[in-house]
Amino acid sequence: MTMAKDAEPVVSARQAASRRWDVAWLGRRREVLVAAAVIIVIAISTAVHSYFWSSANISFIFADSIVVAFLALGESFVMLGRGIDLSVGAIMGMSAIIVGFRIQNHGMTLGPAILLGAAVGIVLGLGNALLVGVTRLPPIIATLGTFSVYSGLEFVVTNGNQVDTIPNSITNLGVNTVLPGVPVILIATLPFFIVAALVLRYTTFGRSIYAVGDDAEAAYRAGIPVQRTLFLTYVIAGLFSGLAGVVFLIHTSGASSTTGNTDNLSAIAAALIGGTALTGGRGGAFGALIGSVFLSATLTALSYLHVSDVWQPAGVGVLVLLAVISDSSGGRPRLRRRSRPARSRPWRSRP
Amino acid sequence: MTEPDGEHRSSSGTGLLAERTGDYEARGITKSFDEVTVLRDVTVRFRPGEVHALVGENGAGKSTVLKLMAGIYHPDAGSLVLDGQPLPALNPSQAQRRGIYLVPQEPRLMPDLSVTENLYLGALRTRRGTGTVAWRAMYDTTEGLISSVGLRVDPRTAAGRLSLAQQQLLECARALSHGCRIIFFDEPTSPLTAHDAEKLFELMNQLRSEGLTLGFISHRLEEVQEIGDRITVLRDGAVVARAERGTLTRDDLIRAMIGRQLTVMSRSRRSGPGSGPGETRESGGTGAVMLNVDQLSSPPQVNGMSVQVRAREIVGLAGLVGSGRTEFAETIFGIRAPVSGTVQVAGRDITGASPRKCIDAGLVYLAEDRGRSGIFADVDITRNETAAILPRLPRLAGIFIRPRLEQERARDAAQRMDVRASSVGAAMKTLSGGNQQKALLARWMLAEPRVAVLDEPTRGVDIGAKESIYQIIEKLAGEGLAVLVISSELEDLIRVCDRVYAVYEGRIVGELTGPDITPDALGQLVVGAS
Repeated sequence: MTMAKDAEPVVSARQAASRRWDVAWLGRRREVLVAAAVIIVIAISTAVHSYFWSSANISFIFADSIVVAFLALGESFVMLGRGIDLSVGAIMGMSAIIVGFRIQNHGMTLGPAILLGAAVGIVLGLGNALLVGVTRLPPIIATLGTFSVYSGLEFVVTNGNQVDTIPNSITNLGVNTVLPGVPVILIATLPFFIVAALVLRYTTFGRSIYAVGDDAEAAYRAGIPVQRTLFLTYVIAGLFSGLAGVVFLIHTSGASSTTGNTDNLSAIAAALIGGTALTGGRGGAFGALIGSVFLSATLTALSYLHVSDVWQPAGVGVLVLLAVISDSSGGRPRLRRRSRPARSRPWRSRP
Repeated sequence: MTEPDGEHRSSSGTGLLAERTGDYEARGITKSFDEVTVLRDVTVRFRPGEVHALVGENGAGKSTVLKLMAGIYHPDAGSLVLDGQPLPALNPSQAQRRGIYLVPQEPRLMPDLSVTENLYLGALRTRRGTGTVAWRAMYDTTEGLISSVGLRVDPRTAAGRLSLAQQQLLECARALSHGCRIIFFDEPTSPLTAHDAEKLFELMNQLRSEGLTLGFISHRLEEVQEIGDRITVLRDGAVVARAERGTLTRDDLIRAMIGRQLTVMSRSRRSGPGSGPGETRESGGTGAVMLNVDQLSSPPQVNGMSVQVRAREIVGLAGLVGSGRTEFAETIFGIRAPVSGTVQVAGRDITGASPRKCIDAGLVYLAEDRGRSGIFADVDITRNETAAILPRLPRLAGIFIRPRLEQERARDAAQRMDVRASSVGAAMKTLSGGNQQKALLARWMLAEPRVAVLDEPTRGVDIGAKESIYQIIEKLAGEGLAVLVISSELEDLIRVCDRVYAVYEGRIVGELTGPDITPDALGQLVVGAS
């Protein structure tokens, strides 16, 4: 050995383990911050309007956020791989319409409805997956195209009709509460988020998504199947968007030819607010959920403060921009420059 | 060793434009990033008509000095003094207007724009009256400018199609076209072949004779001694030695750089397999043929190359940049598609297989450009190391990776490869170049390969880490690995290889074994003479 032999190569497992908690805490910090922001929004709104702090209203906020949360969850898979899916809203719309008509006109029950919604989502998601993962189109172009196709198909499928009679047995899921303020739908959908989080953190597929999002070239050379990973993220985005369609029916008890047209941005906003980076490789499943709750709480608060609904899209847009700005200034800019601080080596003993 | 003392040429003057001579000094500079002090009270003076070399290990602060002087960073304390006048806080374009230009480590040109457009970037000439771009006039002056730096290409060529060496020359031309008198080079020669480096030195000599102020950073002590009129040695952010040409020996420099004496480059270490101190490698270095490449072609860079590597053998692939060495490795490893020929690893055909299949068959490839196609910079060491063996990690219920066991594996591998880090949870970008490279070696060794292709394993790595990487390579070969080392530094190959192939224009043009591997013989082969 030639130099600094006395330097300790890598520290003991125990020290490493204690560090792991630091890292885990940092990783969760964004979620904690957003949760704090939600509490602040609720506190202020309650001060202005005491009805805001009622079981019915809090429950409404949760139920409302689940729709976007599912979209954001799917979107997160795509964004973690450094992609983007602009068609999730339209996929949700297609699912809501197709499933809605089955329920309304054919008396379909909830179980089959969920399966049908998932199937519609997967099929439409496959469209994106083929375009991005196989044809290798830039995701923004591919999914803008499919967004246009799918939202156009919504008109074809509805053919001038709309879904407006969903039986109470189904819509009650969004209204009934298990505890004050906690709707059944929130509890029923939590497992999806838990499974998604486990997949992302602890499976080969999940880890491959992060690697591809971080550096696709390095990932490919490390033997990670880049295109297959990307392909699957779009299928999963489709799957969750299809499920979002079913949740949408439960929550709003209806669907029309324009359902979902404005929800793409909400999904991206929720994922961004929850800490998933547009530049890939950073973020997680619970960020999507907490980001959606924040979005929903803020928009509800605005209407309690007598801000007209027409301001809502503008509000979402501002939140997206704020999330991106905070990400690029506070976070780590992903420039490939080497102009970072000279590497310090505090662990090396000085000769 | 002499301390620089002030024989000012024009500092008593008024600093008028006409009197600018390019005497540029950093005085007592201190700089910290995130509470880590990277420069402490550093004073360096660059004088007109001189080439001033900054040397030091990775992380010693050399690049930071030049970046401060070029306005990319701002000093926390101390001042920058140009021709006797203290400068206000600079940004890079203000520095350029004062005649200071930094040629970055990797040239930052617009790859799709032409040579001319790159040269005139931000200052395209326009025709009077119409305001349209005066292409003809620019192309004409471009020819003159680029040929004055020894670059002979069509001004309409896209900059991305130039070689690295040519891109550096173009950066120089850009500095000159802006009328810069002070030109800094941040490790200009590390990606260059000896031949191209020589050409760059010719240019530097010429600019020096024209009275320009030149500063450069290098790892290669030979060239520092060859071209530097003045040498400043940095260690851990402080100046530890200053010298004029010829006053320091190579050993003095090394001692100053690392604070102790090294016994590197002792060629006698390896006097043929078996007889050297290289521990376990057995007589003849022969095991079964592990890598067998037959007539592999992927034109135009790879034209029918045949290479064999046996277990326990370290084989070199010598060649200039652009000779097809890296392309050959990429063709083996499934990054480029082969047109003809076959690749076998341990008797199994993997011609044209994807990296995943190559890795599973026992072939790994340490890429040439570690920053762009090796590391995940923001990710911790553990995940960097296990990226290539995700499917093989220990699991719970056959599905969920067990992070603690994963981390243990990563830590063991890091220890074997002598990675120096606070923990395996540290982000890869916080490591020095040498440690990043060792962590990548750990990644590949975790894959339990039979054949390792190492492309420039010691590039951008300081001298101590370099020796340690050689030792790791020798140890791995001793354990039965077949190693193919690609390098443009002949010295490295001579130091470590049992056998060397020479590549020229995508063909194997020669093969040397044991004591026949000499700088002269190799040097002849790689330039295609003989």
